[in-house]
Amino acid sequence: MNKPRGLKRMLEIIPGGLSWGIIAFLILLAFLRPVACAIIIIAFDFYWIIRTLYLTTLLVMAHQRLFGQKHENWLERCRGLPAGLGFKQLYQIVIFPVYNEGLEVLRPSLEALAATHYPPEQIILVMAFEERGAWSHQNAALLEHEFGGKFGAYLSTFHPDGLPQECRTKGANATWAAKAAKKYLDERSIAYEQALVSCFDADTCVDQEYFGCLSYHFLTSDKKHRASYQPMPVYNNNIWQAPFFARLVEISSTFCQMIESMRLEKFVTFSSHSMSFKTLVEIDYWPRDMISDDSVIYWKSYLHYNGDYRVVPLYVTVSLDVAYSSNIWRTISVQYRQKRRWAWGVENFPFVVEGFLRNKKIALGHKLRRSFHLLESHVTWAVWAVILVVIGPLPVILGGKFFSQTAIAYNLPKITGLLFKFTLLTSLTWIFLSWTILPPRPKEVSRWKYLALIGEWVFVPLIILVIGSTPALDAQTRLMLGRYMEFNATLKGNKML
Amino acid sequence: MLAFQKIRTLLFYCSLLIFFVGLPFILAYALGYKFNSRSFKFVKTGLIFVKTQPPGAQIFLNGRLLAEKSPASIQELLPGAYQISLKLERHYPWKGQVEVEAGKATPIDKVILFARQPNLGLLSQAEFSTFRVDPERKMVYYLDGKKRIVYRSNLDAGNFEDIASLPDKFEQILGWEVSPDRAKLFIFNHRQIQVVYFDTQNDYDYPAVPVFIDYPQAKVLNVFWHSNSYHLVVVTDKNVQVAECRPQAVPVNLVDLNRPGKDAVYDPKTDTLYFSDFQKSPSGNWQNSLYKLELSANPDLLERLIAQPFAQGKSLLREERVE
Repeated sequence: MNKPRGLKRMLEIIPGGLSWGIIAFLILLAFLRPVACAIIIIAFDFYWIIRTLYLTTLLVMAHQRLFGQKHENWLERCRGLPAGLGFKQLYQIVIFPVYNEGLEVLRPSLEALAATHYPPEQIILVMAFEERGAWSHQNAALLEHEFGGKFGAYLSTFHPDGLPQECRTKGANATWAAKAAKKYLDERSIAYEQALVSCFDADTCVDQEYFGCLSYHFLTSDKKHRASYQPMPVYNNNIWQAPFFARLVEISSTFCQMIESMRLEKFVTFSSHSMSFKTLVEIDYWPRDMISDDSVIYWKSYLHYNGDYRVVPLYVTVSLDVAYSSNIWRTISVQYRQKRRWAWGVENFPFVVEGFLRNKKIALGHKLRRSFHLLESHVTWAVWAVILVVIGPLPVILGGKFFSQTAIAYNLPKITGLLFKFTLLTSLTWIFLSWTILPPRPKEVSRWKYLALIGEWVFVPLIILVIGSTPALDAQTRLMLGRYMEFNATLKGNKML
Repeated sequence: MLAFQKIRTLLFYCSLLIFFVGLPFILAYALGYKFNSRSFKFVKTGLIFVKTQPPGAQIFLNGRLLAEKSPASIQELLPGAYQISLKLERHYPWKGQVEVEAGKATPIDKVILFARQPNLGLLSQAEFSTFRVDPERKMVYYLDGKKRIVYRSNLDAGNFEDIASLPDKFEQILGWEVSPDRAKLFIFNHRQIQVVYFDTQNDYDYPAVPVFIDYPQAKVLNVFWHSNSYHLVVVTDKNVQVAECRPQAVPVNLVDLNRPGKDAVYDPKTDTLYFSDFQKSPSGNWQNSLYKLELSANPDLLERLIAQPFAQGKSLLREERVE
């Protein structure tokens, strides 16, 4: 990765600097002005209670939408649309960028794709392998043999290693594949407007109604080419087999995404998602040198269309693998690295702000609001658990005799305790909702597992402690110090590795 | 979706409102302020934190019974003096007056409510002259001066066993102590020290022959076990000596004394002896001084000293004066 200079380097320092600054400031305050520190902690605790309540309400609303549309026959609704909207000519380009995932991960994804209700002749599948992958050609041949006749078109691409202005990222591979798809469309004179492109993680198993839902929302949307379409990611592929730690983290990730889907002004693409192929070509594909391609593609579009770009939530699920490993410590490590990679989305901040500075057509208010949202979400991610768990008790520990004699010294633990009790209450809602999104219990899994699924929620404080803030703080620190991350595919546990 | 967004916006602003309206009240509560609904002002109050041993005591504030039981913090008290009484059934009550200051917490957290019927248990009715308790091993050692035997039991007065016989000729036992290894004890009077090994153990590292140390020229004032259970630290009216716990051992004189005081304290954790002695000042007056003598500062030196012949009047170990 080329080393950035000047402004971009400064922007890279801001999130990490701010997060560490807040932490250092509060620790220093606990030493020097414990009363002031306690006041800030109580205010933060109260803010967190309100925020948790607010977000849980949003989650319930998103859940209601998801389940309200669960049995919707989207394809039927598409067929009922006026012919002029062009459903019958709408192609689905599906790209699966493959890094080192094996057949045990890829095969279920393609089986799920083949099982969708969407007309198969209108699906163009692009299996995007890395040329450097040891098994790429062999796996490509096997999959093509198995699935070649099940779609309108089946393309296997092999992204060469070390192309100029590229890093080893998923975006570079997906771009190579999208260009192959473009060539395919050009050869058949299919207009880009007639194609939607879905870039899926290798372990993505789509719902049978996914493309119907996507097509319906696309065809009926106002400014349909100025939007990305984001399904709800659930980690149901192996959720019954995954260890509790990984399961809880991924359920929380699903819930976070569902909550985000209710906050349209902040909603950004994440993981597997879809968009107009015309738009993809116009914005010159995915960035080829950034790891967080899933979110950067949104920001790239947002800047290209001068802020006239949005994400449309699709209340239909795509199922992914829970990342886990052979024992709890390796699972924690795998989860930590995956969350750190997600938190590396902080690289969007310098990208977006630089883009805002160059773009004169987006209103200043929009620029400020979006920059603030982006910065605030990453900084909050990096500091919230540290403030609640680590800094919370500090005034009492470091405050000395003077502080211990004040009323606030006695009230701080009481109020903090109240926060945790309240969090437990909201956890009940989360436990209930988590049950409803579970796939059917496999026969080999005991009924007692249901009880375990409830009991494991007591480990939430431990999870908060381990991967609440630290991956984000780690990612921001790396960006701040210029130690750039490289793309590493997460170890997935669909078929236990 | 539009309806959902409207509800969400409403929720957002409601949350914002709750935060900004609620926060001053929460902070005021945390800082000890009380909102006076009549004057519409915040008044700064203090609190009393009550903790008792055992917990669960009723709390009376100026004679009024409170709903909370100890441990509890009594909030929103206007500054001033308060009468507190704590009552627990079958325990002596506690009463006191506390001063509450604005914004501060007054802790009453060292209250022990003693039971009216103390938990008194009879351990032993056996005949004995003196006893020693070993809390670490949960044992009691009894010395019967008349029958000249030593026996022991556990702390529940069970498992009695005779462990040693004392020599008949040894007169007027002034003191005794079980060694740290619990394998023997010493008894002493002004002229003699005797070490007696317990009968119950035969796995000594050294021959369990009784040890006598006579002091014909000096008067033994105090004797202590060194933490290694092999050396005795002896304070006489003339010197401080260390003696090995073996027959015919020659004590080593560590410090000469002029007029030692009766009291001497030995810290077995650091092997340090604290003692007092009178010294003649340059003006000719006698002045009492406190000393400490470290016996583990240089273990090699101690071993060497024991091995050497009796060195009269030489203080070779480090000696430090304590003001």
